[in-house]
Amino acid sequence: MIVEHLELVDFRNYVTGSFDLHSGTTLVIGDNGQGKTNLAEALAFLATLSSFRSAPTEALIRAGSAAAIIRATVRQDDGRETLIEVELATPGRNRVQVNRQKLARVRDLLGAVRVTVFSPDDLILVKGGPGDRRRFMDDTLVALATKYDNVRLEIDRIVRQRNTLLKQAGGRLTDEIEVTLDVWDAKFAEIADQFGYARATLVARLNPMVHEAYEQLAGVPTPLELQYEPAWRSSGLVAALAAARQLDVRRGVSTVGPHRDELSMTINGLPSRTHASQGEQRTLALALRLAGHRLVTERTGGAPVLVLDDVLSELDDHRATALLDHLPAGQVVITTASELPPAAHADHVLRVVAGNVSQD
Amino acid sequence: MAGNYTAPVQVLIDELGRLPGIGPKSAQRIAFHLLKVPTEDATRLAFAITDAKARVRFCERCFNVSEGALCPICNDDARDTSKVCVVEESRDIVAIEKTGEFRGRYHVLLGAMSPLEGIGPEQLKIRELIARIEPEGIEEIILCTNPNTEGEVTAMYLARLLKPIGLTVTRIASGLPVGGDLEYADELTLGRALEGRRTVD
Repeated sequence: MIVEHLELVDFRNYVTGSFDLHSGTTLVIGDNGQGKTNLAEALAFLATLSSFRSAPTEALIRAGSAAAIIRATVRQDDGRETLIEVELATPGRNRVQVNRQKLARVRDLLGAVRVTVFSPDDLILVKGGPGDRRRFMDDTLVALATKYDNVRLEIDRIVRQRNTLLKQAGGRLTDEIEVTLDVWDAKFAEIADQFGYARATLVARLNPMVHEAYEQLAGVPTPLELQYEPAWRSSGLVAALAAARQLDVRRGVSTVGPHRDELSMTINGLPSRTHASQGEQRTLALALRLAGHRLVTERTGGAPVLVLDDVLSELDDHRATALLDHLPAGQVVITTASELPPAAHADHVLRVVAGNVSQD
Repeated sequence: MAGNYTAPVQVLIDELGRLPGIGPKSAQRIAFHLLKVPTEDATRLAFAITDAKARVRFCERCFNVSEGALCPICNDDARDTSKVCVVEESRDIVAIEKTGEFRGRYHVLLGAMSPLEGIGPEQLKIRELIARIEPEGIEEIILCTNPNTEGEVTAMYLARLLKPIGLTVTRIASGLPVGGDLEYADELTLGRALEGRRTVD
């Protein structure tokens, strides 16, 4: 699947912007603050209906405008062409049209355009908290099968309901609370056991791919491992919740479950969050994204668009060249403020100056 | 939103805005519409509201909306008293009645378990349901709560409560709309329908 044409109206700093994109590697060059990342953000928005910079809708609409439009012509692998139009408005709801037909539910767009983004912020995959790594696992699952988006929302809801119930108990475990907790726990476990299995399978498949991607970037073999082994999975969540019940009631929160899981990562047997160098952490974060991208490509039978936002400035020349040498097949968009390392090569070059685009 | 209108208008807008599904903009539009229509139209609406509020109450047995002590369904002698269909709201009864497939009685819980909204088993009409079993000779209870998280949990709670009493407890099936196309079904419904598949004779 590739995005052939992208048009922006009142999106971020673009009054109007029009980009012809191609398969292969497109380099988007521009000084800081000219709109390179905004272009990457618009592409990614089509895939997730949210900003990868976690910006609220207001921030995406150009100051002084009531609405922004992202319009994309997408060519599927089988040759079909789809026109996707997203209108962001505030106040008001986002609207989505596919081939000029309005979608009843905006969420139905999920899965129609698939995009993998790597940005400098992704360093949090290594340096951030467990929640950042859970989001990586879950976002990758959603990219593999959109049903996981519903699963994830339902787990959030059950945890919120259960925590409220625990707070209402006020530290006392009455018979009535016991019986009510029993049913919430049963419902929680029914979904969480499946989700835990999905995460574990995902991590098992990602492990060799992260390893390989890291080695290609670093240029040397490096012992590296991802581990997802929450204790509750060995007994099942119902048993784990029962064991933690006294504690949960005392603290008024759910202390066990998929919402507390950690994906731990080690380099040379040492935790990468605390022991790896800055360069190793950047390389690992990039390797995680590239592995996720490869898994989604292999499992869904088509490569998502790979967007590498301002990644070259973060890597030394050696690693930048290694990255460009090993780029996966499919459409790749790279934004950068500087020219490419001499050994590298791009198929197309776009130059962005203050929201205006020219083609080399 | 701070009121910029003369007091009675703002009160009307605020009251309308408290209704479910009515946002500030709709409330404003309805308020100005009501101010424009002939007085008797507005009075008729006001009367309809107060009249319904005064005459309609909950059925003493099943908590359906009713004009008398018992609702028309509970008063209907032709109904099969051994089967009771448990629903969250009165409006669910209307939906099931339209099918013409069910000839038993109903029981309205007046909600579903949701700690976030402060609703636990005690807030629902569950004790009242248990009290009906003996005197009415109920043998089967069909759980027709909504197929969402809260509805499922409520159904699970009731099943655990009712099965030990020796009743037949069933749950309404989830699945595909009749007359629809498979390809247009959302993946959640289709997944549920696959789970609940049955053998064909």
